Amino acid sequence: MRSRRWMRVVTTPSGAVAVALLVLVIGLAILAPIIWGDAASEVNDSAPVQGPSSAHWAGTDALGRDIFYRVLVATRLSIELAVMASLLGVVVGTVVGTAPSVLPRWAGRWVSSAVNIAVAFPSLLLVLFFAVVFGVGTTGAVLAIGLAFAPGFARLTQTLSAAVVGRDFVAAARVAGVGRLRILVRHVLPNIGEPLVVNATINAGQALLAFAGLSFLGIGVQAPSYDWGRLLGEGLTQIYVNPAAALAPAVAVVIAGLAFNLLGETAAAVIGVRTGPTRSGPLPATPGRDEPIDASGDQPVLAVENLHVAFPRDGRWATPVRGISFAVRPGEFVGVVGESGSGKSVTALAVSRLIEHPGVVTADRLDFAGVPMLSTPERELRPLLGTSLAMVFQDPTTSFNPTRRVGRQLAEVAEQHQDLRRGPALARAVDRLRAVRIAAAERRAGQYPHEFSGGMRQRAMIGMGLMGTPKLVIADEPTTALDVTVQGQILRLLSEVRAETDAAILLISHDITVVAQTCSRILVMYAGRIVEDLPAADLTRTPRHPYTKALLAVVPDLATDREQPLVAIAGRPPAPEQIPAGCAFAARCPLADERCRTDDPALVQVAQLHRVACWHADDQHDQGTMG
Amino acid sequence: MTAELSSPGRASAAQGLRNPWVAFLIRRLSWLVVSLWVVVTAAFLMIQLVPGDPVRAALGTSAPAELVQARRESLGLDDPLPTQYWNHLRSVLTGDFGTSMTTDLPVSQLVGDRLPTTVTLAALSFVVIILIAVPLGVTIAVLTRGARWRGGELAFTSASVVVAAIPEFLLAVGLVYVFAVTLGWFPVAGGDGMGAWVLPVASLSIGPAAVIARIVRVEVLAVLGQDFVRTARAKRLPPWRIYARHALPNALTATLTLTGLLLTGLVAGTVLVENVFALQGLGSTIVQSILQKDYPVVQGIVLVYGALVLLVNLVVDLVLAALDPRSTIREA
Amino acid sequence: MSELRFEHVSVRYGSGRAALTAVDHVSLTVPSGQVVGLVGESGSGKSTLARAAVGLSPVAEGRVVLEGTDVRRLPRRHRPLQMVFQDPYSSLDPRMTIGQSVAEAMPRAAHGGRRGRRLEVARLLELVNLDPERVDMLPGELSGGQRQRVALARALAGRPEVIIADEITSALDVSVQGALLNVVRGLQRELGLSMLFISHNLAVVRYLSDVIAVMYLGRIVEVGPTLDVLSRPQHPYTRDLLAAASHTRHGLDDPLVSIADAEPADAEPADPHHPPAGCRYHPHCPIGPLVHADRRICVSADPAEGAEQRPHHAACHFTEGGEHLLNREEDRHVRGH
Repeated sequence: MRSRRWMRVVTTPSGAVAVALLVLVIGLAILAPIIWGDAASEVNDSAPVQGPSSAHWAGTDALGRDIFYRVLVATRLSIELAVMASLLGVVVGTVVGTAPSVLPRWAGRWVSSAVNIAVAFPSLLLVLFFAVVFGVGTTGAVLAIGLAFAPGFARLTQTLSAAVVGRDFVAAARVAGVGRLRILVRHVLPNIGEPLVVNATINAGQALLAFAGLSFLGIGVQAPSYDWGRLLGEGLTQIYVNPAAALAPAVAVVIAGLAFNLLGETAAAVIGVRTGPTRSGPLPATPGRDEPIDASGDQPVLAVENLHVAFPRDGRWATPVRGISFAVRPGEFVGVVGESGSGKSVTALAVSRLIEHPGVVTADRLDFAGVPMLSTPERELRPLLGTSLAMVFQDPTTSFNPTRRVGRQLAEVAEQHQDLRRGPALARAVDRLRAVRIAAAERRAGQYPHEFSGGMRQRAMIGMGLMGTPKLVIADEPTTALDVTVQGQILRLLSEVRAETDAAILLISHDITVVAQTCSRILVMYAGRIVEDLPAADLTRTPRHPYTKALLAVVPDLATDREQPLVAIAGRPPAPEQIPAGCAFAARCPLADERCRTDDPALVQVAQLHRVACWHADDQHDQGTMG
Repeated sequence: MTAELSSPGRASAAQGLRNPWVAFLIRRLSWLVVSLWVVVTAAFLMIQLVPGDPVRAALGTSAPAELVQARRESLGLDDPLPTQYWNHLRSVLTGDFGTSMTTDLPVSQLVGDRLPTTVTLAALSFVVIILIAVPLGVTIAVLTRGARWRGGELAFTSASVVVAAIPEFLLAVGLVYVFAVTLGWFPVAGGDGMGAWVLPVASLSIGPAAVIARIVRVEVLAVLGQDFVRTARAKRLPPWRIYARHALPNALTATLTLTGLLLTGLVAGTVLVENVFALQGLGSTIVQSILQKDYPVVQGIVLVYGALVLLVNLVVDLVLAALDPRSTIREA
Repeated sequence: MSELRFEHVSVRYGSGRAALTAVDHVSLTVPSGQVVGLVGESGSGKSTLARAAVGLSPVAEGRVVLEGTDVRRLPRRHRPLQMVFQDPYSSLDPRMTIGQSVAEAMPRAAHGGRRGRRLEVARLLELVNLDPERVDMLPGELSGGQRQRVALARALAGRPEVIIADEITSALDVSVQGALLNVVRGLQRELGLSMLFISHNLAVVRYLSDVIAVMYLGRIVEVGPTLDVLSRPQHPYTRDLLAAASHTRHGLDDPLVSIADAEPADAEPADPHHPPAGCRYHPHCPIGPLVHADRRICVSADPAEGAEQRPHHAACHFTEGGEHLLNREEDRHVRGH
C-alpha cells in the first residue's frame, strides 16, 4: 500500500520530471569524472578566459581549462558533499528530535529548549559559525552545513512526533506496558517516517544550495578541488568576458536543486492531501420518484422537489442526497433525523444554498418564500436570504470568527441587508442578544467569541439569525456540541423563537429523542433519501418504516430493561459513492425480500400527512395493529 | 463577607502581576535574556573551539613568535578560561567588541559602519516581498478555491517550486547577467542612488516572495474552509466582504508567524547578496574576516546577527500577541 | 477479582494563573466484579480521573490502589488495569494490523511462540464478536464500531482485572452503540471484570452500572447504587442531569415548557480555573442561594466536608435529612470557638 503511494508520486507530471532530473544528475555524478576527468583538468596556457566556442561550449577559465567539462565533473563532488551534509543533519536532527520522548521529562525539556533557541537562527548563520569553528575547507563545510540543518530537522521531528504521541494509540500502548523506546520504534517513527523522508529530500536540495553558496564565498571547497559553487565564484569574476563561465555552473546547481525540491514537494503533496482527480463525467440525470408535495394549504416557506446533491470523488459522483422532496410551512417545526452519513446536513446546506463548488445541487423545484433559488442569480437572492433565512450550525466554537467581536459579527448582517449604519446596527445586535436572553448584552457584544461559553455562543448564533425577520431557521445539530444540561435551554430558545416570530424551523439532529420532543413533524433520512415523513405525534404510535422503528428502539432511556440486551441494527449504512440498487436499507432490514434488493421504493402517502418509502409499509402496519 | 473582600492596595498589586500582558512580557523578555546569553557564550566558545592557536592561524606561520605572543596577551588568550569568559561577558555588556586583527580598528566601529547597508537591504526586501506575496497569494487562493481552475493552481505551484529552488546568489548572478551585463541598466557592483539597490533587493526578494505567496494561498484556503466563513456566507455577505473582513485577517495572523522566519532568513540572505554585489555590509565583512581569520570581527558580527535575529523574533511575537484577541488571556 | 480504589486523588495541570485542578480530592471505589458508572458533563474531570488510574495523567495528591497495591508500583509488563478510549479513530495505530495491535498488549511471557500468540489474538477477536479472519486488516478498513471492538480486544489481551471504559460509545452512531454495549456487558459478566464506565449519557450508564458516581467540576458530588441514585437523587446537580436525560424521552407528549422548571437561570457554566467558593454548584443550584436567599452556607462552606455522613455521600448541605447534619456541624463550630 505504501509503495503504491510512492508510485503515485512518480506518475504525476512533476514527479516524473523530478525523477528524470534526479536520474540525470546521479548518472552524471557517477560517470562524468570517469569520462571527462582528464579533459576537465587539462591546462591550456594558450587559450585562457575564452568565450563559448565549438571546442569549449562554455568557454575556458583563467588557466584555459574547459568550463563545460569542469561543470560536469564537479557534479560528483557537489552531490556527494550535499548528501553527506544532509545525512548528517537528518541523523543528528532525528536523534535530537526524538530524544525528548525517550529521555526523562526534565532532560527532554532542556533538549527542546536548546532546539528552540537554535532554530531561531537562520541556517546560514549557523553555517558561518561552524565554518569558523571547524576551519575553512571541505570537511569543515560538511560539518557546518550538517549541524546547521540539524536544529530545523529536530524541530520538525519533534513537532511530528508530539502529534503522534498525543494520540490515543500511544496512550493505549503505554497502558499496555510498552516501553518508551519501543513506542518510539513501533508507533512513532513509522507514523512520521514519510514526512521525514520527504523533508530529508528537500533538505538535500537545500544542502546542495548551501554548499554552492559556501564554496562561492570561498569558505567551502578549496582549490585544487572544485564544486559548482567554486566554479561559480571563479566564473563571476569574468562575467563581462565570458558570462557562460558563471551561468553554466549556475544552471547545474539549479537543475540539481530543483530535482531534489520537486521530488520532495510532489511527494509531500501526494502523501499529504489527496487532491482527487478532476473529471467525474457528467452527472446522471435522475427523474423524481417521490410523490409531489401536497399543494393545498398555505404557500410553503420552503418547497423542495427531487433534490440531489453530488460531489465528485475519485472519478465518480458521490451522492449524499438522492432525490428528496418535502415542504416546510410557515410556523412549522420540522425535524430531520438520521445517522451520520444519511445526508441530513448536506440537505440543510443545499436548501440554504451553501453547497460550494465542486458540489452540484439539482432539483426540480427549490423555492424559498416563493422564490426559485436555483434559477435566481445569487446577487438578487442575497437580501432575501440574508434577512429571511437564519442558520444555526453545529459547533458554535468554530462558527464565529475568532478575531472579531461578537456584537460586530451580528451587526454586520444589519449593515449589509438593512442599510443600517455602524451605530444603529450595533444597537440592534445588542437588542438581539438580549432577545436570546444573554445577560449584560451590551458588555457581551464587545467581547470576542472565546470569552463566551458554548451555550452562550449558540444563543448568539440564534440571535444573529434574528437580526432580520426570519421566515425559516435551519438549525444543524445545534445541541450536539453542548452539555446535556445546556441542550434543553437551546431547544427551548428555538421553540420560543418560533412562537414569537412565527418562523418555521428545520431542526437537524442525529438524536431521535431530541427531534421527537421538539418538533411537530419529522423527516427520517437514510442514505440520502427521506424514508419516512410523519407527524411527531405518530412517531411512537404508528411508525411504518423499519428503519424508523429501529432508530426508536436502539436509543436506551431511563426505562430500558437492564436485564435484556440492547437493541442494535446490524451492519452499517452504505457509503454515498456505493449506494446499492433497490432499497438502501435492505441489507440491514429484517423484512427485506427480493424486491427490496432490486427496486428502490418511492416515498408515498400512506395516511394523512404521513409518507413512507417501504415496500412493506402496509404489512407491517397491519401487523402492528393486529399485535 | 471578609473572606470575599480583599484590601484595595493588595488587589491592585496582585492585579499588576495577574495582568496577562505583564506576565507575557516578563516571560518573553526572560526568554530573550537567556537566548542572548546563549549567543554571547557561543561567540565566546567559537574562538576557543578554533583548532590550534587562533592568533598563529591569523598571523600566518611566518609571523615572529613575539608578535604572536603580544597579540595573545592583548586578546587575553593566556588567562584562565573563567577569567576570559568573565572579561568577554563584561566587555560585551559595555559595548566593547575588541579590535580587528587586520585593520586595528575597534570592531564596534566597523560593525557600526557596515550595519546600515545590511539593514537597509533586508528592510527594503522585506517590504517588497510583502507587497508582492500577500496580494498574489490571496488572488490565487480566491481563484483556485474549491478545486476551481486546476490549471492555474498547477502553474502557480510549479512556478513557485522552481523559483524557490533558485538561491538568492544564483538569482543575483542571473540578474547581473541580464540587467547589468547584457542590458546595462544597472551597475554590476557598487554604484550610488536607488539604482544600486534594485538588483540586490530583487535577488533577495523573488525567492521568498514565491514561498510566502504559496503559504498565503494555503492559509487563505484553509481559512476559507472554516466554519466561520460558512457562517459569513450564511449571512449572505458579498464575496469581497467575506474575503476582506473574515478570511484575510485570519490568514494574515497565521502568515505573520512566518514573517519572523522570513526576516531572519533575509538577514542571512544578505551575506551572499552583499558578496555578489560587493556591498560593504556585515555579510561581506564577515566572509572576508573568516577568510582572513580576523576572529574578533567575526565574533562581533556573529553577536550582532544573533541579537538582530532575536530582536526580530521578539517583535513578531509581540505583534502577534497584540493582534490575536485570543492571546489576551481572559480576565478573572 | 479486584477492587480499584481512588484515595483522595487530585490531578493538577499548569501553574500560576493557568493552574487547573481537574480532579480535586476524589475518593471512589470500584468494587470487585462490579461496574461503576461515572457521569458528568465535559470538563468535569471524569476522563482525567480515568487517565490518572492508568498513569496517563499526573497524580498530584493521593493514590490509586488496586487490590492493596499502589498502581504506580505495578510491574510494567503486567498491567491488570486496562483502558478503552473514546475515539476509535485515534486509538488504533493506522499502520499496524489489528492483530499486531492486539498482540502488542499481550504479556510477553504468555502464549509462547508465534502460533500461540496468533491463536490467542483470534480468540480475543472472537470474544468481541469480530471475525478472526480480519486479523490482518488495517484499522482504516474497519468501521467505528468494529474498531472499538478491536480496542476492547486489545484491552482484554492484557489479562486485566479492571477495565476503564472512557466514553467508548460517544463517537459511534446510535444504531451500533447497542451492539458494543452488549458485548461489553457480556464480557464483564462472563469474566467477572471490575469496570469503571465513563459516559455523559445517563441512560447508558444506568443500563450498565451497579453503582453511579456523579462528577461536577472535579469533585464527586454523589455516589450510590444505580437505581437508588436515579430514584432518589440527593444532589441537585444529579436531579438536573436526570431531568435533562428524561425530558428527551418522556417529553414526547409534554409541551417543552416543562423543561424550564428545574432551571433557575441560564447561568454560565463555571470556570474550572476559578471554581466558585463554598458549594461549586451554588451559581446554578435550584435549591441554593439563587432561590433561597437565606442559604448563605452554600457560598461559605464546602459541602464536601461531612459528605460521608449524608445519604449517597452527597456534597450538598440540603440533602434529605441533611439539615439535621448541618445543625450538628454548626454546633461544632460554635463549640470550637
